[in-house]
Amino acid sequence: MSLLQLAGIQTFIEQFHILEGVDLEVAEGEIVALLGRNGAGKTTTLRTILGLNPARSGSVVFDGDDITARRSFDIAAMGIGYVPEHRAIFADLSVEENLRIAERKPGDLARKEEFIFGLFPDLKRLIRLPGTNLSGGQQQMLAVARALVADNRLLLIDEPSEGLAPVIIEQMMEAIRQLSSESTVLLVEQNFIVASRLAQRYVIVEEGRSVKTGSIADLVDDDETIRRYLGTGS
Amino acid sequence: MTAPTMTDRTGLTGWLQRRRGVLITAALLVAFPFIISIVVDGQGLAAVWSNEQGNARFLQGLAIEVFILALYALSYDLILGVTGLLSFGHAMFFAVGAYVVLIAALLQAFLFAIVLPRVKGITFALVTLGFASVFWIVIQSSDLQEWAGAEIGLQGVEAPVWFLDTTNHRFAFYLVSLAILLGVFVLYQRIIDAPAGKVFASIRENEDRSLMLGYNTFWFKLMVLVVASITAALAGAMHTMHQPIVTPNVASLAFTVTALLIILIGGVGTLTGALVGAAVYRLLQFYLDRWYGAASELLIGLAYVLLVLYLPYGIVGTWRARSLRIKEGRDRLLQMVTGASKETSSPEE
Repeated sequence: MSLLQLAGIQTFIEQFHILEGVDLEVAEGEIVALLGRNGAGKTTTLRTILGLNPARSGSVVFDGDDITARRSFDIAAMGIGYVPEHRAIFADLSVEENLRIAERKPGDLARKEEFIFGLFPDLKRLIRLPGTNLSGGQQQMLAVARALVADNRLLLIDEPSEGLAPVIIEQMMEAIRQLSSESTVLLVEQNFIVASRLAQRYVIVEEGRSVKTGSIADLVDDDETIRRYLGTGS
Repeated sequence: MTAPTMTDRTGLTGWLQRRRGVLITAALLVAFPFIISIVVDGQGLAAVWSNEQGNARFLQGLAIEVFILALYALSYDLILGVTGLLSFGHAMFFAVGAYVVLIAALLQAFLFAIVLPRVKGITFALVTLGFASVFWIVIQSSDLQEWAGAEIGLQGVEAPVWFLDTTNHRFAFYLVSLAILLGVFVLYQRIIDAPAGKVFASIRENEDRSLMLGYNTFWFKLMVLVVASITAALAGAMHTMHQPIVTPNVASLAFTVTALLIILIGGVGTLTGALVGAAVYRLLQFYLDRWYGAASELLIGLAYVLLVLYLPYGIVGTWRARSLRIKEGRDRLLQMVTGASKETSSPEE
């Protein structure tokens, strides 16, 4: 059974019809890449799953529960972690406070710290610094680490490689690969090379609709699809 | 965590160390009337207790006004500076405390706190402005003249207990208002240091991010609004005890802007800035008016422009930013001299 299932999702932001029919499934333990051009509706899909931009019609089912009309904090508490784009940390809080605020029950951070600092050793060294003093790469690490503090079964990760230096992208990819042993991942990624090296399956979104899905291994060889929907050659 | 916790000092010694700034300030302010009485008035210590006329008594009155303004600004800082909610109606909470008894203020705090957390951003600002405007009109209504005094306001409100009688027991009122201010200040500091305080900060930075971490931000905003409105009402009630006349101006938009101005002068979100800002605001206003009369308004405006230009984060905010830079510079120097590694960020991009 799928851990996450979206069917016929229609989402409006104010009067704008952003998602006009998104269907996707994510099975437990896999990494699924949500691909598409800028403005295709990838981020809105993630925000709809979390109820930040609630769907007007269609259904979002997580672990057998229909969460379409639930409120964001309820959805998050069910075990869905979100790593927003643009390194969305709390800049005024320290690294430790950023991590501690993500605890859902006391002791979450203590239980996970070995795993988190194993993935991102820099964060342990910078534990007392305010988020604003971190570099872009460190902020992105903190954003991912924050989603790992609580026991999240599903992680929604939006553009983790955006604006990062190649060496940091490699580190981030390794971290996502490792964390996928603990959580299922739905990954939005503009960088096709990154997505293709991480994900097992893909869903392409075009103008608010999911238009194609399949194995990422097949997509790597499908120049026509890549050119048509992602605007890039492999 | 293996990393050291943020506060390692515990017990009474730790508490005294953490609160030494507040304790020193309290001691100095308690001693202040006695010092003035001896040095300036040439009177003895007993003159302060016996409420003798003189500079000591007068300056206590001025200081009480500063304490009340600071308490009011402190509550506004919790809403705007700490939690990021821009309210244009904060004067209403003060005025409810000033006009109505404190019990009614508690009731209104809960009533408004149920409505206000449901709106955010500019809508929040406009709804608070709407509530405050209605209240301002109502208290000036001639139908309520018997209770609210219409355009004149309240006059000659009697103190319910002797230590709130500012005319006959000025020093007692001075101590009570100082104790309330510093007590609320310490309470607010505890709130913002607690996990809930970090959630307030996260709401200020980005409410959606707090929601996606699983926080029902409604309850946190409700908590902030209730605490802040009760504090403002307390300040309003003390204002009524201290002033011979309470005018409807305390419910106006201008009085909310006063709170905003005070925390801008002191430093938004710093809490200490509300105290420093209130002192600077009231003392500038009082002494410039005394020395320059009608020209004081222009000079006050000029002083605010200079403050904004040279202290962009307010007095406390700018001081903290600069002292951080001085500390970073000192650390770098030490690092160069000793060759030791230091925990600093190293941008990779």
